[in-house]
Amino acid sequence: MTGSSIPPAPTRADEARIAALRRALPAGRQRDPAGYPIEGRRPAVAFAPLDRDEVAAALAAADRGGLAVVPQAGRTALAMGAPLARYDVALDLSALDRVVEHEPADLTLTVEAGVTLGALAERLAAHGQQLPLDPPGGEAVSIGGLLATGRPGPWRGHLPGARDLLLGATVALPDGTLARSGGRVVKNVAGYDLHRLHTGALGAFGVIVEAAFKLVPLPERTATVACRCAQLPQAVEMAGTLRATPLAARGLALLGARAAVAAGLDPAPHVLVGLAGAERALARSEGELRRACRLAHVPHAEQLASEEPWALLGALAGPQPGGADGATSEDGGDGDVREASPGDASPSAGGDGTPIVLRGSLPVSRLGALVEEAEAAGFAAWAHVAAGSLLAVAPAGDGDADRARVAALRAICEEAGDALAIEAGPPALRASLGPTGLGPAGGESAGVALEVARELRRRFDPRATVNPGRWPGLDAATRKTR
Amino acid sequence: MHTNARPGEAPAAPAVAPAGAPRSGGEPTNPLRDDPTLRARLAHELRQIVGGAHVIDAPEELLAYEYDATIDRARPDLVALPASTEEVAAVLRACAAAGVPVVPRGSGTGLAGGALAVIGGVVVATARMTRIRELDAEERLAVVEPGVINLALQEAAAAHGLRYAPDPSSQRICSIGGNVGTNAGGPHTLAHGSTVNHVLGVELVLPDGRVTWLDGRQLDAPGIDLRALVVGSEGTLGIVTAACVRLLPQPEAVRTMLAVFDTVERASEAVSAIVGRGVIPVALEMLDAEIIRAVESQASLGYPLDAGAVLLVEVEGLAEQVEEDATAVLDALEGAGAREVRTAREEAERERLWEGRKAGIGALGALSPNFYLHDGVVPRTKLPEVMRGVLALSERYGFRCANIFHAGDGNLHPNIMFDELEPGASARVLELGGEILRLCVDVGGSITGEHGVGLEKRSYIEWIFDPPDLDAMAGVRAAFDPVAGEAWRFNPCKVLPVSHGCAQGHAAEAGAALRLAQAPGIYL
Repeated sequence: MTGSSIPPAPTRADEARIAALRRALPAGRQRDPAGYPIEGRRPAVAFAPLDRDEVAAALAAADRGGLAVVPQAGRTALAMGAPLARYDVALDLSALDRVVEHEPADLTLTVEAGVTLGALAERLAAHGQQLPLDPPGGEAVSIGGLLATGRPGPWRGHLPGARDLLLGATVALPDGTLARSGGRVVKNVAGYDLHRLHTGALGAFGVIVEAAFKLVPLPERTATVACRCAQLPQAVEMAGTLRATPLAARGLALLGARAAVAAGLDPAPHVLVGLAGAERALARSEGELRRACRLAHVPHAEQLASEEPWALLGALAGPQPGGADGATSEDGGDGDVREASPGDASPSAGGDGTPIVLRGSLPVSRLGALVEEAEAAGFAAWAHVAAGSLLAVAPAGDGDADRARVAALRAICEEAGDALAIEAGPPALRASLGPTGLGPAGGESAGVALEVARELRRRFDPRATVNPGRWPGLDAATRKTR
Repeated sequence: MHTNARPGEAPAAPAVAPAGAPRSGGEPTNPLRDDPTLRARLAHELRQIVGGAHVIDAPEELLAYEYDATIDRARPDLVALPASTEEVAAVLRACAAAGVPVVPRGSGTGLAGGALAVIGGVVVATARMTRIRELDAEERLAVVEPGVINLALQEAAAAHGLRYAPDPSSQRICSIGGNVGTNAGGPHTLAHGSTVNHVLGVELVLPDGRVTWLDGRQLDAPGIDLRALVVGSEGTLGIVTAACVRLLPQPEAVRTMLAVFDTVERASEAVSAIVGRGVIPVALEMLDAEIIRAVESQASLGYPLDAGAVLLVEVEGLAEQVEEDATAVLDALEGAGAREVRTAREEAERERLWEGRKAGIGALGALSPNFYLHDGVVPRTKLPEVMRGVLALSERYGFRCANIFHAGDGNLHPNIMFDELEPGASARVLELGGEILRLCVDVGGSITGEHGVGLEKRSYIEWIFDPPDLDAMAGVRAAFDPVAGEAWRFNPCKVLPVSHGCAQGHAAEAGAALRLAQAPGIYL
């Protein structure tokens, strides 16, 4: 698969099905498919529905026609999962960008899927509030993408994650219905929590169109302290000490030297600490940090002027430079097909040049060793200590060599009973190794879970209309039924 | 879960109902009821699995399993008490082969009838599975079996300077298995979230006996999150035989305050005032005058008898942060018209304040022969309005109503006091309970915040979900038990409404909604 390959021209039968799909939506929702390349492929057609009912209608029409639909908005994580098996329709959700309800005094928020974290942060900050989620890709990430990919950021473990803050969601199902779970109140155990299932499922069980969240107050002050260490073992020890030290922390990361460089720091292993809270709590925390560094003979601890290292790391693991092709960001005109975008197989769309982004789960006690292994294998690697997770990023190189080094890191995680996900990378790598590996409990058990997941997929998306192929094995029993 | 990604290793799909099968209307059957031979054969088979002493089939012994913390009763045909995951799996395989209903049961403290064997069948109780398989203080996690009592886990964690955050008021007797089943909350949910936020992974035995771990030992492990479906599924998707739970470090500092108000409404307004200051306490609980009287009649804890309501507010964290937060809370309370705010000066005083909260409902037994405890949720800002409504409704129906609840979460627990011997009282109490829930739903709330839907609220669930929502939920249930499909065999007649099957259970709902104070301190 190369970056410039274009799918074969649609056959006449395809055209008939696509025409039926076009009729399902009002005029003016169509977009230029050239703006939506993924893995070197262009969809036959692209739509930008304006509301949830249009999403459901488009989905149902595609499903009836046996066309594969790929929902997208921020286009920040299109290289997640195994390569798409089919890609006929780009479903651009960025026009679903309304805040449905924000009741500041209740600290709750209901938004449509296309709202970006950046737009939201601005609006909430005006009320002294935030949705405390910081996935890779940062402000460009849409709510739908945030949930569908389920990628945590540095704050996870210190603060609740997306699954924890999510109060409810509405999804469009391929049969054209809209199904809701949860609610808008902060505590609710009525019915099955499908919204949590959708979190991280890459659309396997429906397309998220709306979600409700719990919010938290913005901290009075934030600060970042970078502790530069002599070597990695010292950084590992330092991170362990700080984990057990009372701090007003919302981030505690262990950075290999390569990751440090990517974060704009000196080329040495670092411990990066994010602080948030009341002025006095931060002053105390900074004192604790200095003391811990002294005791551990850490040569250098610097309070930074900005939050930039976190943003740089988030960008490194998020959409790649040049990856945002902009095709989905402008407002659609009335009835006009948008200007064609040249963005063909941009890195963010998961083509051959896509950098490799790995996320590993591992016991805290083994994170240091994995950072070391990953850095030795050429990755910029850092660990979020409170969440037991590791991120590793490297440019794609030789296919066989990449496969070998990713497989070796995955083996370390699986040996500890945990998993290593490939969150971005060239299609060939993702196809050969699979997105997540076996998981914690080995073959047979993972097989049972897969059977349940497959049964869920069969009930929610029997024709594998949404993102076919993203989860290997999920669609095995549900081939096109046309 | 973690999807098996290796090509060519995909296991064979299980036998399934045909795609496109109707999504509703299944009717479970209980072949044990009319077939003593089958019952005897199954009892024998189960004894082979769990040992002779751990299968109950004598009518007088089955009595103990015919109720939970609700007043309603339904006698199971058999009870099995397996001691291991393997035994649970074998028991479920045997029950599946016999095609009989299975009802999982923890400590039996459920408040929504979730553990009732509505149409009979086999109750599988997890009371013998009480091992803490692992407690890793360094990794801050524990792997526990379902029969472990919540408080036992708290104590084990405390020995390492850690804690398990969910702390339902029944924590002295409720089990982790039951907590996982209901996605239990508790006073500290406000800051730390419900059980689902603290369960990293579960070992699940599916209705047909297949065993699997769902998710693992880290937060947000990659893959499809089936764990989150199982937590809160009220024992309808299988039996959890172990849970890997997250433990949190004990906070450096804790500050507990008791604010005294003249009226419930004033106290309700103070709740939003606190949050408006940008502070989310770890607990924010309300007790009204009825509860205070009940509590003080049992033990002298220092709650003011002339108060209209009190708020119990707790903040925790870094000492300096706690100072700041406590100051903000004090300002908010005074600004909202608190008559007096007491701050616990020492741990003993703090414990005394909490004792009033935890023993509150049990103490009501002294004031009324019966009471009906409800569980509804409203947006925090609607509390004053809804509390006014609750009091007005109670008055209109002629019942006293005591309120003790998680005000910070907007999670109401009205307790309607009545005497079941008074003709017609029970029916009117039910009607009042329904009206209170209607009030919650009308302001954008929910019918249950932590007790579950169970049998009691399966009709009310149609107030908050539309048919397509419920169809999707029915799809979840069927996916975990594809053989039974829509004819729910596993914990039948629970969660989903009559429109989605099990009309037989309908008659039992009204009865299940009535409850009795049976033992102090086991509720919420």
